[in-house]
Amino acid sequence: MNALPARESLTAPEGTEPTGPVDVIIDQAGKTFQTVRGPIRALDPISLKVPRGAFVALIGPSGCGKSTLLRMIAGLEQPDEGGAVLVRSKHPEQFRKEGELGIAFQDPALLPWRSVADNIAFPLQILGRPVKRHAATIQSLIDLVGLKGYEAALPGQLSGGMRQRVAIARSLVTDPSVLLLDEPFGALDQILRRAMNVELQRIWAARQTTTLLVTHGIDEAVFLADTVVVMHAQPGRIAEIVNVPFARPRLPSLFSSPDFHALCDRLTESLHGGDASP
Amino acid sequence: MKTQPARENARILFGTLIFFAIWEFLGATTSWGIAMVPAPSRILMQAFADRELYWLHGTATIQTSAIGFAIGVTVAVVAALLFCLSPRLELAFRGINIALFATPAIVIGPLLVLFLKGDWPQTVLAALMVYFPAMSATLLGLRTVDPRIADLVAAYGGGEGKLMRYVRLRGALPDLFAGFRVAAPLAVLGAVLGEFGSGTRWGFGAFLLSALPQGNPARLWGIGLASSAIALAGYALFLLPARRLSASSTAVTLAAVQKAARPSGGWAWQRIALAGIAVALPFVIWWLAVTLTHVSPIIAPGPGRTVMFLIEGRQAAGARAALLTALGQTLPVALLGLLAGLAFAFALAALSLLAPAVARALLPIALVAQNMPLVAVVPFVVLIFGRDVTASVFMAMLVVFFPAYVLLHQGFTTVPRAASDLVSAYGGGRWKQLVHIAVPYSVGHLFAAAKLVAPQALLGVMVAEWLLSGVGLGNLLNVSRGGLDYDMIWAGALISILISVAAYEAVGFIERKVGR
Repeated sequence: MNALPARESLTAPEGTEPTGPVDVIIDQAGKTFQTVRGPIRALDPISLKVPRGAFVALIGPSGCGKSTLLRMIAGLEQPDEGGAVLVRSKHPEQFRKEGELGIAFQDPALLPWRSVADNIAFPLQILGRPVKRHAATIQSLIDLVGLKGYEAALPGQLSGGMRQRVAIARSLVTDPSVLLLDEPFGALDQILRRAMNVELQRIWAARQTTTLLVTHGIDEAVFLADTVVVMHAQPGRIAEIVNVPFARPRLPSLFSSPDFHALCDRLTESLHGGDASP
Repeated sequence: MKTQPARENARILFGTLIFFAIWEFLGATTSWGIAMVPAPSRILMQAFADRELYWLHGTATIQTSAIGFAIGVTVAVVAALLFCLSPRLELAFRGINIALFATPAIVIGPLLVLFLKGDWPQTVLAALMVYFPAMSATLLGLRTVDPRIADLVAAYGGGEGKLMRYVRLRGALPDLFAGFRVAAPLAVLGAVLGEFGSGTRWGFGAFLLSALPQGNPARLWGIGLASSAIALAGYALFLLPARRLSASSTAVTLAAVQKAARPSGGWAWQRIALAGIAVALPFVIWWLAVTLTHVSPIIAPGPGRTVMFLIEGRQAAGARAALLTALGQTLPVALLGLLAGLAFAFALAALSLLAPAVARALLPIALVAQNMPLVAVVPFVVLIFGRDVTASVFMAMLVVFFPAYVLLHQGFTTVPRAASDLVSAYGGGRWKQLVHIAVPYSVGHLFAAAKLVAPQALLGVMVAEWLLSGVGLGNLLNVSRGGLDYDMIWAGALISILISVAAYEAVGFIERKVGR
């Protein structure tokens, strides 16, 4: 299977007929960056639908436009002429103003002068919500990501993994209906990464938040997602959409099961397929 | 390991004691020592005898500097906020900002006297000296926002207002205090330079003017040391809050992409128009100042009259000749001082890479000396070099050397570790590292240093001419001031400001060419 520009194959990957409402609609959205040396096509016009409550992982090599896609959903980038992105039938700019969007980047991007609790409260302040009324929420999120006792610590006093967990907690503080995660565990070591994967699944299962996860890690994508979108680079495009059949809740033992590895191998092949494979 | 700082401190203390012992010995026993470097004990005794004068002059200068500093930083912070909100406004004010940075402050003093009364000329000059460093540091702080945090704010629907309120204002605090720290000694310098021109009775500037012809080395040294002490106290005042704040503000991870400071694009004609406004605005403000204050046009001519003074009329040819002679005396000296100071700073910074002990000894001195008001070195220069051209060159060199050395040393130390390791891995020594890695890496810093100190060199030479050598542009201004030749004061000030700005822009132009 090569790059598929057609829409119909992308809207409904077999097995997950979108019966309920659709949270994110990406319609023929491409992205071209103007540079000094002329335009660079980061993303071919692509289409994708994410049903409510789904966990979708985007994987692909560097430069395949997966982060650009995520940034378009967050309204941080605008699609080129002719493309559109709708989140719960609204434009991203409008949607995010309602505080329904949660986001975490590869880098925690914490404010260095704020404590852990104040950093988690930051989105509430941007949205103009009273922080005091959410004190219990913030405390429960700190407990959830295992940072109890570090409420008053500054980012400089935390380890890399702890900082990343603050960023995850911060992305959940507004109780978002759509959660965007851009390689949030990219900088963590393998062991911590696995632990965070299990953690994230628990959080997602508890809230059933529609989640888009950009990642380099095939195993991470398979462990967490219902649907894995495989992307290719130059120009960025969707190569294949693969369903992950494993039952939930998925246990850490899944990481060592043969089925799991078979699916990972299949995705690896799909990632490397593209131009070279028959 | 714990004893290391203690031992270091003991060594510094020991070194200082030895230094003072040698100074005391030479200053008390040798004939040139008595004439040029009087012993510390004699300086102290003289200062004790002069204590009432110190009190009167000192309080005047401190008061002027403090008020000038307060006014200057207030304007600077407000301006930085406005410039941050509107980059176009900054482009329009670029001419004013550069003129304020590059102007040799000493030419402003005689002009301010024409408009202002009492202590205000020197107070305003102190404020003008403070404005640029405080404004640019604050603006840099406000502009430098981690792009990831800007994304985060945008992702939650926050606009520029929220970004300013929660991120920019707090993030700028360390830079703000760093700017204040640099600006505080400049307020003292501005006050003293203003006192030269205003004819005030009290203040260290007046004290120095009256002491210069007296031939009392101990008193001259005392004045120099005391004015340095005031300036350094201002520096130290903001050292602690700046350290405190930067400790809790430095980002723990590095931003991958640095956003451009200024949004590019926009219409070409818009940018040209803004550049035109930038050039015209200083002249418009000049014109408004003379028109609105109702000062007689004979005392305060507008831009048109000043240019005409040099072009037509009976005295035009004479005025041009006088200015050209003065420029012929000043510019070569300033250029020589600038190049020599830069070369010396570059050589020493490179040497400190080959012999780190040199840097350890020199850097603390340079860090202190770059914040000493340049008038404080006047006594030192006049006693050792007399009153001829050598004094002017040396003055310019001294003014150039210390800030350039500090900046170049930074340049040499920011060389990525991996780059030097690469040379070591292939068996290259420190010399190879210097030639292949450190020097190419620090070229950018060399230009930054040249841009920073070029106006300083001119100021140094003009101060030396005004106070000591009695030739050149500085002297022309001083003589015109005494002779109430207002047209010449304005013309001289205009020419020196234009030259300074041109030098600044020229270095910037070469920098951009080389940087490409």
